[in-house]
Amino acid sequence: MTRLKRSARQAAAARVIRAVLVGSAVLAATSCSGGALAQYTPVSSGKSFVGGSYSSTYYRPGSRPAAPALTGALLTGQQFSLTADRGSVVVLNFWASWCAPCRREAPALAALARYFQRNPVRFVGIDSRDTVPSAEAFQRTFGVGYPSLNDPNDEIALAFRGTLPPPAIPSTLLIDSTGHVAAMIVGGVSYSGLKALIVKVLGGRS
Amino acid sequence: MTQDLAGGDPVTELKERARTEGTVSASVPSSSVAVAGPGDIRLGARETGAGESAERELAARVPAATAGTGGRLGAVGWLRWGWRQLTSMRTALVLLFLLALASIPGSVLPQTGIDPAAVSQYYASHPGLAPVLARLSLFDVFGAPWFAAIYLLLFTSLAGCVVPRAFRMARSVRQPPPSAPRRLGRLPQAASFGTAADPEPALESAARLLARKRFRLRTGDGWVSAEKGYLHEVGNLLFHLALLGLLGSVALGGLFGYKANRLLVAGQGFANTPTALDVFRPGRLVSPADLQPFSVRLERFTASYITSGVQRGQPSWFSAAIQYSASYGGPEHSYDLRVNHPLIVDGVQVFLIGHGYAPVFKVTDRTGRVVFDQPVPFIPIEQSGLTSAGVIKVPDASPEQLGFAGVFLPTAVDVSGRLASAFPAALFPRVSLVSYAGNLGLDSGQAQSVYSLDTSAMHRLAVPPVPLAPGQSITLPNGLGKLTFTGYQQWISLAITYDPGQTPALISALAALAGLILSFLVRRRRMFVRAYPGHDGRTVVEVAGLTRSDAAGGFETEFAELASEIVHVLDGSAVVAGQPATTSRSAGDGLPAPAGDGRPAPAGDRRPAVEQLAAERSAAEQPAAEQSAAEQPLGAGQPAADEAALAQAEGE
Amino acid sequence: MPVNSGVAQASNALLVLTIVVYALAMLAYAGDFAFGKRKTPAPVPARLPELVGAGAPAGFDADAGHTFPADPSDLSELADLSGRAADPAGAAGPSAGAAGLPALPGLPALPDRRSRWPASAWLRYAFLLTCAGLAAQAGAILTRGLAEHRVPWGNMFEFIAAITCVAVLMLTVAAVRFRAYYMGLFVLLPVVLALAVDVVVIYTPAGEVVPALQSYWLAIHVTGMLVSIGMFIFGAVVTVLFLLVARHERRVAAGLESRSAGIMVQLPGSSVLDRLSYRAILFAFPAWTFAVIAGAIWADHAWGRYWGWDPKETWSFITWLVYAAFLHARATAGWRGRRAAYIQLTGFACLIFNLVGVNLWISGLHSYAGLG
Repeated sequence: MTRLKRSARQAAAARVIRAVLVGSAVLAATSCSGGALAQYTPVSSGKSFVGGSYSSTYYRPGSRPAAPALTGALLTGQQFSLTADRGSVVVLNFWASWCAPCRREAPALAALARYFQRNPVRFVGIDSRDTVPSAEAFQRTFGVGYPSLNDPNDEIALAFRGTLPPPAIPSTLLIDSTGHVAAMIVGGVSYSGLKALIVKVLGGRS
Repeated sequence: MTQDLAGGDPVTELKERARTEGTVSASVPSSSVAVAGPGDIRLGARETGAGESAERELAARVPAATAGTGGRLGAVGWLRWGWRQLTSMRTALVLLFLLALASIPGSVLPQTGIDPAAVSQYYASHPGLAPVLARLSLFDVFGAPWFAAIYLLLFTSLAGCVVPRAFRMARSVRQPPPSAPRRLGRLPQAASFGTAADPEPALESAARLLARKRFRLRTGDGWVSAEKGYLHEVGNLLFHLALLGLLGSVALGGLFGYKANRLLVAGQGFANTPTALDVFRPGRLVSPADLQPFSVRLERFTASYITSGVQRGQPSWFSAAIQYSASYGGPEHSYDLRVNHPLIVDGVQVFLIGHGYAPVFKVTDRTGRVVFDQPVPFIPIEQSGLTSAGVIKVPDASPEQLGFAGVFLPTAVDVSGRLASAFPAALFPRVSLVSYAGNLGLDSGQAQSVYSLDTSAMHRLAVPPVPLAPGQSITLPNGLGKLTFTGYQQWISLAITYDPGQTPALISALAALAGLILSFLVRRRRMFVRAYPGHDGRTVVEVAGLTRSDAAGGFETEFAELASEIVHVLDGSAVVAGQPATTSRSAGDGLPAPAGDGRPAPAGDRRPAVEQLAAERSAAEQPAAEQSAAEQPLGAGQPAADEAALAQAEGE
Repeated sequence: MPVNSGVAQASNALLVLTIVVYALAMLAYAGDFAFGKRKTPAPVPARLPELVGAGAPAGFDADAGHTFPADPSDLSELADLSGRAADPAGAAGPSAGAAGLPALPGLPALPDRRSRWPASAWLRYAFLLTCAGLAAQAGAILTRGLAEHRVPWGNMFEFIAAITCVAVLMLTVAAVRFRAYYMGLFVLLPVVLALAVDVVVIYTPAGEVVPALQSYWLAIHVTGMLVSIGMFIFGAVVTVLFLLVARHERRVAAGLESRSAGIMVQLPGSSVLDRLSYRAILFAFPAWTFAVIAGAIWADHAWGRYWGWDPKETWSFITWLVYAAFLHARATAGWRGRRAAYIQLTGFACLIFNLVGVNLWISGLHSYAGLG
């Protein structure tokens, strides 16, 4: 009798173990590349850049991550500091001259910068993996009026790691007047979409 | 002895099924055969490793009574039957073969994860077949669901077999060996001799001897039973459990690890962020904030090539001098990155995978402004001379966007009108480009590879692709601008990998190897000694030994040694009666000549070795009912599987 | 460091000498089959049926009809038998066991050390030639390594030379340890063929290896591969022989005439061969497992991932799976004997494809054959 009882318990234990094993094996099988980041990064082949698919995230005023104290040299040579812009909404756009979606959204950004130029909204670009001649030529092509930081060695991208690292280019971060990140857009922005978002953040409404 | 009677024709079941390393008797004592049917009692009997035959008969009889109506299996019974089929040896065999077979297309066809360019080429050369293969996941065999199904089934079968055995092993660790069979003469290794000592002391001496040899002992009335070699099962289980651990490690890496690639030109640096990587393959649970924040800068790359002899042009060594820091703003260290000498920083490994040339170009447009001034990595298209191909895109030239495509030749030579590179070092660098103007297609937002030029919306400029030396330039027609080849740099390509399952995988693999070797080296074996008074006043001592039926041999030598030692200890001599007169002894072995009357050897035993083996096999496969019951080395709670293998009744 | 061409040439000469000596050894083995007189085999231990079965004392449960045959797993006593009937009467005298303990009738005797040496003169010369050839081959490999200042297995030519050396080494070990002298002809045949093809078609002059191979892991991983492949080769040859002998036995048992009876009776029984090949795989399989693991560690060190389904890796995995299936088959009722032998030969075919086919026809990270 004891033997049977023990065997029943063991049978149950064995069943549980089997279930766990099969379950974890299934999990293993499905854990190929993909996941949280997959939506941003087309798992591309060959040596190309990591583009992005569109996504937009808005953060409510109480739950906004703090933006890093960004400093750096602008393409023009001047120094820039993000904290100096406290009080304004900062639109931080990560771009590159060779990146096709960045080129596509550039006219919208340039236009929006002109539209909001009398509001406390500041547009700043962060140019990654680009040289100064190419970056300046890009700005000329699209009439980009706002300055950009040059980030050839990804130091600025690294600075954002603790808060909200940009997963791809182009990415756009909206930083509110208190220095917190209010929204992140991954992928090219549209004129109307970004305008509405800036208005929302300017208004301070949730 | 029955193993498992649930489902199917019992006799066929028994003949075909086998637990790992256990074999099932070809013929079964009729008393314990029962009609198939599910039943907790039977499951219980199997799990605990059924005790004495009486209990088994009881267990067998009860369901037989209830299943007298025809023995239909319920759903649970079918599940159980299915589970037992899955965890059987035969299924494991089939699955092993299936997995091997399934891996073949993964090695013969190009795979997307390994060589995507070859896949595209396959599409080009087999336009009809390629989509069919793609739908069957044959370009991604190792991630295909059917491949996963096979190895998952195999691992389930493995786990379902090994885990219960591990429990049984743990239980049997403290258990004594089985009692000695009544007829030791039936065991494969057996011998008998006479001794002057009394049975009890004789047994004690034998037991002491075996104990000295680290056998686990059990004594009974007139017999001693000894067993050794438990490490065999330990090794076997360790191996199979380690395989499970390996699977878990692979899963761990797949969930939390990532792989990335980055090409770096000399003078450039990068930091480990998603935007800085050329190719990024994260695990399922990896987010951008998980990437370790190291940064690497390439100072200088040097390669040395063999300059003479048959291997001229082959690389001799490469070295990349890099500076790296483990965190943002952290201290910089220098490192000599080479093949087989990766950089390990913050748990991430950075490997030097490839290298090439990046000629530097300066483009001025019609306005005279410099719109492009940077090195452009060219990708080698052949190894012996490192001829490299590349593309230059100038999207912000005005009035028209410019594009150039061509080759860079490190040591340019003219081979009957065609340009080629004779040596991989940049001894005579030349670049030859075809020029285009128009719309590069970038502004539409459609992502393009930086290494390919889409000329569908461009027109070719009437500038001949003359080879340019460093410093020379092409002047574009219509005042579109000028391109100058200012020099060249070298680039390296890095593979960045982070795999938290790497160390567990290594440990599992080494444990598997250790288990394998252990299970191959150690044999589970049993020795039995019986002593009883013989008819002539001397004590007859019988010694017999048994080992696993699938062992490779070598036990007989050990048995011979052990038996000889027992004889020696007991001062034994040949059995008095029954020595054939024809027996001759080699001189000088110090033993008294046998005084038996001897009988002539039965003629039937004078057979060639081959047929003797056949006789042994057939003899072994005919157990008498009493034999099987008597020699059922099942002590209380002994695992059924092992005993099945070792019992004489099962045989070879 | 530049290659020492004089020593390299000596290496080539030694390799050619190896082929010649092996060919002569093959002739001697064949001569033994054809002309060798079988001397009385070494004393067979007196674990004979009639001693105990027939002459049991009254108190003992005489089990009439049960025989105590010589254990088939004892290769030491059967391997040098010509397969002819063991002579119970003449060999009934037990010899002193090697342990110095007396052997009694009814007890198995220990193998007699004196009788490890083959009795036939032909066989002795053949074995000596084999050993001489082995020494020459080892010398060829050694000098090649000295000439190149590196471990001499960096391309297909050197690899084949090395695995054939291991196969012959396994032959000599089996011959001495298990008295498997009869294997000589059958192992040397593929070895000589492989070496001939190697020298004539696959030859690559001594040289450096590419930077990817400049690592101490070359010695570990490739050496493991060599040793296991050489043992697999030996196992495969024994298995083929097993199948042939088993077929002969079946025909004899069925009363049919067997055409190859002349040679078959000079070989031991099929179960002896079965055990011998199983033993070879028992050594080779862990060695192969080790070599694959070492390769994975090296791959992780060099390329950043320990397993990438590179064609060579995939075929090593397939070979491992098939040999694992063989080991499982050995433990499964109904799958032993011939079926297991076929599985083993399938595994060997995968191994050969891994060695030759993957190098020649499929390109991957492992393309170090040095060909083309």
